[in-house]
Amino acid sequence: MKSRAPRLSARARRIRGGVHPPEHKHLTADRPIRRIDAPEVVILPMRQHAGAPCTPRVKRGDVVAVGTVVGDTEAFVSAPIHSSVSGTVQNVAPHPHPAGGEVLSVFVENDGEYRIDPEVHPLPWEDMGPEEIRKAVRASGMVGLGGAAFPTHVKLAPPEKYPIDTVILNGAECEPFLTADYRIMLEYAEEVVEGLRIIMKAVGAPRGIVAVEDNKPLALRRMAEVARGRDVEVLSLRTRYPQGAEKVLIANLLGREVPSGGLPMHVGVVVNNVGTARALAHYFRTGMPLVERVVTVTGSVVREPANLMVPLGTPFRAALDACGGFTEPPAKLIMGGPMMGLAQYTMEVPVVKGTSGILALSQKETEFEIPLEPVCIRCGRCVEVCPMNLVPTYLAAMAHKEKMEDLERLNVNDCIECGCCAYVCPTKNPLVQLIKAGKAELARRKVLFERRAQEAANRGSGKEGGDGGQ
Amino acid sequence: MALNNLIVTPPPHLKSKEQTAIAMRDVLIALAPITIAALVAFTYNALFNIVVCVGSAMFFEWAARKIRKKQVTLKDGSAAVTGLLLALLLPAKIHWLNMIIASFVAVVIVKELMGGLGRNIFNPALFGFVFILIGSGFLASWTGHLGFLPAGFDGVQTATPLAYIKHGLDGAPSYAALLFANYGGAISEVGCFWILLGGAYLIYRKVINWVIPVTILATVFILAYILGSDGLYHILAGGLMLGAFFMATDWVTSPMNRWGQVVFGLIIGICVVLIRLYGGPSGAVAYSILIGNAFVPLLDRVFKPKRFGEVVAA
Repeated sequence: MKSRAPRLSARARRIRGGVHPPEHKHLTADRPIRRIDAPEVVILPMRQHAGAPCTPRVKRGDVVAVGTVVGDTEAFVSAPIHSSVSGTVQNVAPHPHPAGGEVLSVFVENDGEYRIDPEVHPLPWEDMGPEEIRKAVRASGMVGLGGAAFPTHVKLAPPEKYPIDTVILNGAECEPFLTADYRIMLEYAEEVVEGLRIIMKAVGAPRGIVAVEDNKPLALRRMAEVARGRDVEVLSLRTRYPQGAEKVLIANLLGREVPSGGLPMHVGVVVNNVGTARALAHYFRTGMPLVERVVTVTGSVVREPANLMVPLGTPFRAALDACGGFTEPPAKLIMGGPMMGLAQYTMEVPVVKGTSGILALSQKETEFEIPLEPVCIRCGRCVEVCPMNLVPTYLAAMAHKEKMEDLERLNVNDCIECGCCAYVCPTKNPLVQLIKAGKAELARRKVLFERRAQEAANRGSGKEGGDGGQ
Repeated sequence: MALNNLIVTPPPHLKSKEQTAIAMRDVLIALAPITIAALVAFTYNALFNIVVCVGSAMFFEWAARKIRKKQVTLKDGSAAVTGLLLALLLPAKIHWLNMIIASFVAVVIVKELMGGLGRNIFNPALFGFVFILIGSGFLASWTGHLGFLPAGFDGVQTATPLAYIKHGLDGAPSYAALLFANYGGAISEVGCFWILLGGAYLIYRKVINWVIPVTILATVFILAYILGSDGLYHILAGGLMLGAFFMATDWVTSPMNRWGQVVFGLIIGICVVLIRLYGGPSGAVAYSILIGNAFVPLLDRVFKPKRFGEVVAA
């Protein structure tokens, strides 16, 4: 792709599948990103990313500044955690985590001065080599901000046998209600493109694409303006959930199918969220690690839905208060969008790196009839919508009966858990829920099986002198 | 830590409005034109059939669910649809006991004893219909045009349009008559335009897709011509339209995958033409769809969606 004018037409290679739920984006689409103050105490869980959790690097009474590392680990697939305020470490203790369970967290009492850590200084990425960029990205604690929170520096370090030719910035934002990425593209378009160029440099990819669903024409136009003359393409995608799932995105944009069990790099692609790109550019410009993110706080029962720039570690309650609280008590509080987001049992959980939205639903929106006898009437809707070409109803039935061999035979691990099947099912069967349970059980049994095999092998070798058993 | 009574469930937190009951209501709406046409043509004979069939189908479902100690599912409307389809398949003058038996076979044996809605292999209404078609010999009383007039109530014995296929088309009704108002055979054989109207509505509402009906109609049309018969007459006459749009498309008893649906349509289309030309003239569509139903488990096994990422995975 030479430096021609950015194209606005997708090569709409539409693959089958997907659904189009009501968008609900009007609640916050026109609300500019508003910065909110950090609360008196920020809560920083030591697990805010996919991979190994961090261990605290501070103890009670330590004084920290904005950008000071409070947690880190030696593991490769991980990302350090930084303080989002300056102040004193009040406690290091388990605290409820929005992804479930309790996680060891560092509580920092905010002194309100926002002193900046002396380590923080701008990084001229244009003079840096790929390896230096990767090191810097790891130090920034950057993870995928679309919600999956996969450490970014890992994505930027594909093995040499998988050359990367294309970097895709994911601006699909196909989840209903969420508008954080949309506002980022409108307000920080320059930084988004700069972030894309940093990623392209780190992985040595000649081609960069910003992909946006066609229900966001303003973002498409703004991105195209900024991308002009910069060797970056802006492509529009048909509005269809789960357009932003990376396997679906790559297939629709490039016609390449990520192999089963594989990663985008196996087809020469790296996918990052537009918010991640913007945060990366911000990091290299200022040197400030990932200590804040854009969160869409929305839902019919939120008084003033908004897009907020929230310091990490701010409890959901404080973010909701910044939006005027509730018009009626919420029945459900969700981190993320309504299709894949996680329901919360308390508002005291903190905003973490993967928090793209806080969604409060009313009693009425939460109610739907769950059949006493879920039964498949074989309408085939789930087969039609499954973007991974699975047969969800069979998978769910096999998971229900715990038939693990059948689950594997039906490629259960290809499931991306988008939930289209459960959304569309006319008998309201909990399809994706059963499939997820089946996947987890399958993984658990595999681990168990391997451990037993290992134990048996060890026992055998012990008895028979390293022979390895019969 | 206040619990706030927040509801915690796994995602997705949104559900589509699609529901079995809504789909069944759409089927009933789609059947309205042909039902009205049948009522106009056969007046209270048709009304009597519909009341008996729908009533007995609903009663049997209620009773079967009660005896099996299961939740009563009359609200989903599937029993009403089965009853109405059964009524539409039958001729105007038929002994009420035949209808009760057909209803019983359809709802209790074919559906409930197989495990209830979703687990039946055969289309209940068709199976019930074929059961009495073979078992009771009501064919002898298969009557033609009855009209509005009370005088016509006794019925006039005429050849059904399908009989012409077998014995030559001399004196057969015209295409236009078959489309709009030719009475002969089942009470639903009063003009397939009304069925097409309903079929279009079902496709518009996305209750069914076009693959199965179009494959069946195309197969019948082409194969009939190849075998030296009048293809257009074939698709307009008899119960083919009703079968193609309302019976073969039954969610439960048709394949889930697109290519499976095409083969399913081919099987039915081929059987219809062969039975009509070389077998008995009546019930060809019913037999063919039931034969197709029997292939569904196999078709679902053979035609699976292409696995995502399989091609590139070396």
